[in-house]
Amino acid sequence: MIFKRYPSLKNAYIFIPEVILLFYLVYDFFYLNYLNGYYEILMLAVVLLILSSRAVMFFLGYSRYKTMLSSVRDVINDYKKGRFILQKKKVAGDDPLSIIFNELLVVGRHLDSLVSSQRTEIEKFNDLYNSVIFSLSSYFLVLDEEEKVVSANDGFFKRFQFEQNKIIGKKIDEIFYFVNARLKGGLSQARKLGKSVVLEKTHLLTLNKISIIADIKISNISIQGKNQIIIIIDDITNKLRKDYQITLMSQISESIQRDAEIDRILYTILTGVTSGTGLGFNRAMLFLLDPDGFLGGKMAVGPDSFEEAIEIWSNISTSTGISESYDFKDQKSGKELLKKVLMVKFPINDVNIFTRSIKNRENIHIVDSWNNPDLDEEIKKLMDVKEFVLVPLIVGNKAIGAIAADNKFNQAPIGNDSIELLSIFASQAALSIESYNSLDMVKSEMQKISERQEAIVESEKLAAVGRIASQIAHEIRNPLVTMGGYARRIMQLTKDTPKNSDKITNAASIILKESERLEKTLSNVMDFSRPSKFIREFNNINDIVRDTVDLLKNLFQEKNINCELELQPDIPLVKSDFNQMKQVMLNLLQNAIDATGNGGTVVIRTVSDSRSLFIYISDTGTGIKEKNPDAIFEPFFTTKVTGVGLGLAIVKKIIKDHDGEIKARNRDERGAEFEIQLNVPG
Amino acid sequence: MAKLLIVEDEQHQRELYAVELQDDGYEVDQAGNGKEAVEMVKSNKYDLVIMDIRMPEMDGIEALGKILSRDKKIPIIIYTAYSNYKSNFMTWTADAYVTKTSNLNELKEKVREILASRGV
Repeated sequence: MIFKRYPSLKNAYIFIPEVILLFYLVYDFFYLNYLNGYYEILMLAVVLLILSSRAVMFFLGYSRYKTMLSSVRDVINDYKKGRFILQKKKVAGDDPLSIIFNELLVVGRHLDSLVSSQRTEIEKFNDLYNSVIFSLSSYFLVLDEEEKVVSANDGFFKRFQFEQNKIIGKKIDEIFYFVNARLKGGLSQARKLGKSVVLEKTHLLTLNKISIIADIKISNISIQGKNQIIIIIDDITNKLRKDYQITLMSQISESIQRDAEIDRILYTILTGVTSGTGLGFNRAMLFLLDPDGFLGGKMAVGPDSFEEAIEIWSNISTSTGISESYDFKDQKSGKELLKKVLMVKFPINDVNIFTRSIKNRENIHIVDSWNNPDLDEEIKKLMDVKEFVLVPLIVGNKAIGAIAADNKFNQAPIGNDSIELLSIFASQAALSIESYNSLDMVKSEMQKISERQEAIVESEKLAAVGRIASQIAHEIRNPLVTMGGYARRIMQLTKDTPKNSDKITNAASIILKESERLEKTLSNVMDFSRPSKFIREFNNINDIVRDTVDLLKNLFQEKNINCELELQPDIPLVKSDFNQMKQVMLNLLQNAIDATGNGGTVVIRTVSDSRSLFIYISDTGTGIKEKNPDAIFEPFFTTKVTGVGLGLAIVKKIIKDHDGEIKARNRDERGAEFEIQLNVPG
Repeated sequence: MAKLLIVEDEQHQRELYAVELQDDGYEVDQAGNGKEAVEMVKSNKYDLVIMDIRMPEMDGIEALGKILSRDKKIPIIIYTAYSNYKSNFMTWTADAYVTKTSNLNELKEKVREILASRGV
């Protein structure tokens, strides 16, 4: 009990001999009465002295032992804390404790030098590691389980211009503007499977609108029992931009070869330069110069708002493809932009950057339109963006328009390579417009014109009088121009009369001729468009033929055309309208005369059987050039220099009204032949 | 003396332009359609071509393409009663587009202007 309380007393056994001797002496002294000699007293004094000095020694030694022990304990405690060099330098004495203590001090110095050399080594490694990570083009982002940012490397902060404290602890959705389905899927896949997931060519747009294309590697690692996601972002924007430009170029040149229409090629170019999420421009607008000297908006491609842009970008993965859809007026996004651009129109003589770009044939790169004194308000309002570029379209030696492009929504700076690309496309467009001049293009254009003409003819079949009237107005124009011109001339020339009287007479006669022609055109049209009264009586077609030939006698003679009649004498009478049938013969013969050259022959035959009567009108003229000979019966078909192209249409209408048929064909020898079949009443 | 070619299928009209322009001191040749015009341009040197569009055989647009593909520098004025051809890209390659009226002043003005700009 007592030892527990005072453990040092355990060592008090060393006093046992002295205590025994003391007891003996005391016993001796008192019980045996030996207290009679000095010797005894001296002995007792000596024993007491020894006892007391040994006790003093013992307690002194014990306290020294205690301090040494606590010093050693201090050393060990310091060691535990990683401190190897102590205040106390050395302890004097050669007792085992002092020796151990001194040895401990030596060991401490050893350890200290060891640790400090390791520390510098580690620091060196750390520096190396940091510089390696710093110099990599990859950006690191570490997320915790809730997709909140734990840390990121310097490269990340630098590239995306983030301040460190602003994004730590934020969720990934709060850093990137849209975390598209691919990235989302990648994150959850990495978390679930615990594997690395690689996403190629992913478009990233940060909150502060820095846009890159990156290969992304997502890894899931476990640190101290907690899952963390490491995202390694490899910026491949520049590399991909080159790929994109090459793909685009080949696609556009393909389109130029494939599509003959300029509109389509231009549209392809506009969609091309705005395709490739994050690579191309956000918006592109086309302005063309019209022949009246106005520069007008023609097309525009690009989203209307940031939201629309995000919707487009987050729905499609990065692609360099050009959409196949063509009708730009039908496009879903960018309707407002298109509307705005289509409303643009200003004279080329205006002084602004558009006209400057076109006149000087220069690319204009506006970096800060808000503070650019060269920009007028109208253009600022139209573009509504800080930075944009203008590239002229040059055909041969004429500039015919310009393309404007910008990055309104991701605000990516417009690099020289983008401008270069745009001007390459502009020259492609220009080239294709120029090659439009080449024969192939002309042919396809001709094809289109004839298709258009066919379409007109089709619609003219159902034409209202109003439509005919507008066509007629055009036809009337030519003779009127001539008449007016000559009338002017007459006025001019009569100033010098009578010297020019013969010229005046000539001019006057021409005016007369032209006015006659105008009258004829009008009457033709009226015949066609006004339902005429139909008088059916039995007529001898031979009589009608003879009548008509007689009417045209002068014309035959004028061109020295031989008109042969091979009329079957006893043909049956046919129920018909005399005047209309005469009109038919008149029109057909007039055509034959027009088509036949001087000295040619026109033959009119009539043949009949029990059911039908046939009239054949053949000539030695130029024949029918159309693939489908029936086309010549369409209204407004004409190959003639004069005339509206209603003659044969009227013929067909009349024959049809008579329940007959009319056909046209080319003769084997030369010229054309018309065959009319009329029913003979049974 | 500047030499002009008038391509116009309407004979009377063509003659009218010819005499009027001759009165103004130009030497004038005439072609009745695009085909003739292309042939004439091959064998003659003209300072300017006045081209109608709607013509038989070969129309003005085809002729324009053929002439320009031979010689890009030759100035061409489109002279037509139709204004709707302005929407045709081909006509943009011409130097001017004048709508036909009985008043020849505009045409004459354009001829003077273009020849002056070419230093003829």
